[in-house]
Amino acid sequence: MSIDPIFSDAIIFASLLALLSIGLTLTYLTTRVPNFAHASFATIGVYIALIASRVWESTPYIAIPIAFAISGVVAIALYTFILKPLIRKGASQAIQMIATLAFDLIIIALLNISADYLVKTFQITSREFTLRSYDIEFMGLPLIVFAAPITVAILAITLHVMLRKTKFGIAMRAATENPDLSGTVGINVKLVFGVSWLLGGGLAGIAGALMSLWFQGDPNLGPQLIPSVFAASIVGGFFSIYGAIAGGLLVGLTEVLGTRFLAGELGSWLIAYRPLIPLMFIVVTLLLAPRGLAGISWSRLRRYGSRS
Amino acid sequence: MVLEAETIFIVDLLAIFAVYVIVNLSLNLEFGYTGIPNFGKVLAVGAGAFVAASIPGRIFASIAGIEGDYIENNLAIVSEINVWLVDNTGIGFIVFFLTLGIAAGVGAGLGLMTSYPAIRLRGDYLAITLLAFGESIRIIGNNFTPLVGGTVGVQVPDPLSFLPGELRFPVATIGLILIAIVVYVFSEKMIRSPLGRMLRAVRDNEVAAESLGKNTTQIRIKIIMVSAGLAAIGGALYAFYVGGTIAFAYDRASWTFWPFLMILIGGLANNKGVIIGTLLFVTLRKFIIFFKDSFQGYVPFDVVWLDFLLLGIILLAILLYRPQGIFVEKPTPTISVNGNGKSSGLKKIFNFFFK
Repeated sequence: MSIDPIFSDAIIFASLLALLSIGLTLTYLTTRVPNFAHASFATIGVYIALIASRVWESTPYIAIPIAFAISGVVAIALYTFILKPLIRKGASQAIQMIATLAFDLIIIALLNISADYLVKTFQITSREFTLRSYDIEFMGLPLIVFAAPITVAILAITLHVMLRKTKFGIAMRAATENPDLSGTVGINVKLVFGVSWLLGGGLAGIAGALMSLWFQGDPNLGPQLIPSVFAASIVGGFFSIYGAIAGGLLVGLTEVLGTRFLAGELGSWLIAYRPLIPLMFIVVTLLLAPRGLAGISWSRLRRYGSRS
Repeated sequence: MVLEAETIFIVDLLAIFAVYVIVNLSLNLEFGYTGIPNFGKVLAVGAGAFVAASIPGRIFASIAGIEGDYIENNLAIVSEINVWLVDNTGIGFIVFFLTLGIAAGVGAGLGLMTSYPAIRLRGDYLAITLLAFGESIRIIGNNFTPLVGGTVGVQVPDPLSFLPGELRFPVATIGLILIAIVVYVFSEKMIRSPLGRMLRAVRDNEVAAESLGKNTTQIRIKIIMVSAGLAAIGGALYAFYVGGTIAFAYDRASWTFWPFLMILIGGLANNKGVIIGTLLFVTLRKFIIFFKDSFQGYVPFDVVWLDFLLLGIILLAILLYRPQGIFVEKPTPTISVNGNGKSSGLKKIFNFFFK
């Protein structure tokens, strides 16, 4: 079986955006602060995959649980040591956003330091590298083409079951809806928020580990990715996990396939302007439906459609 | 006369200081006084620099009758222009100020355009939109070659080329400082006017401001436009000072993150804090760059990342332990209270700048 690499590109990129966007939404629900360091959590995953495959010389896939743990812990650190004290001191939302930007800068600096260290100590390429050659072949295609969407599906179903069916998940939804009230009925809001940040950061880490198998890895990947991630979350509505998945898939597929289509129609000079597509998604969504896909009342639209 | 290394160091430091003062004053107007989280400051600064890179050179070339593709033969054309400018200083200055005006206009227009989609929404949406737009300036600059020559960059004509080589940079620095003072006075006047109090009302209690009949959306759009215009002037001046523009120099760290750090060091909503914060930061940065080579041998990585690490930690520490900065925001006296005629002239000037 073989398909045009552009479709693999699109499938993988869309899956990763969905993962990143779910994570961003999970953390946004708790503190109502967009975390500008979120995409750099994924870069941590990329580097863990690099270390797994080049230093430990095993398959990059074992990086997935490790990346989940490390990125999750970094996310909890951001929440516990920086955002929580800021909120306690009554800092405004803007100040908290600046704090996440500063945290992003620190992560990027540490990633760059690690990249330099990896080059010096193990003599491996640690900038603009790809781990495609470490992937396993499955049905004539690299495994990642299947692994990325399947991971998203599994995680989405797990999250759905957890949030809807388990006691903890329901407590989580209650705590994000109204922290004070859920505190009075005995929900440990701090624990719930901590778990949200662990999951949010961890999912970003998984996305990063998967990303390294197809896309080029670099310490400065975060700032490049962040507009797409935010576009996906805004298209999804920023308050809904399902919206985040839909937004991620929509933005990811459009970014890759739309650029390819337009480049075919108008000329290849257009490819370089691909990063402007998420920007257009943000602008159009905010102008037409600021609450995103999740905020549109589909049943009313359907009724309206059948009436006319 | 050859300048000493120390003199060059100080001249360069003061020039960068003046440019950052302009950019930071505009950011303080936006973020400190009005509470608009503009995480895309780089957009306006970059737009100003791009205007300086693409417009004055073409004007000079057409007046002087210099032929050739402006981008492809940029080096040759700009050096010809600089020779021609030696005898046409007047035109040089006219075009220079015209460029600053165009830069301000383009900056204001971009400010309006980029903030419009999200201006009515909550602050975080506006912040995300502006940040995403800020990232776009580098992409456009890198790929759309007629603007700033893509990844190669372009030279910017030098209106001061009539000066002998060793005087050019000191004179340019003095000019920059004078313009920064003008911007400071403008910004102070604005803040101490009824408008300034209205801005703080919009920031502190939007509902109350609206109930008193203020159109907060319109005020915010206007402030974004004014401050984007000022930042664009800063960007254009920077391009003229260094004599060239290259797209990748306009990144998020240098022109969004450092300005936020500087105004937070000095204290928000406080123009004198902006001056002190900028001076501290620029000096610190200069010394880091100056001394980093001596560290290079001791660590197994590029020391430039230590710089990032250090500044990120400084910012977090300020946010956590001294969020009000060096100077705490005070209720600003109105002009009539400030100038009631009892203090002497010199004291008045002192009060104006430092009280």
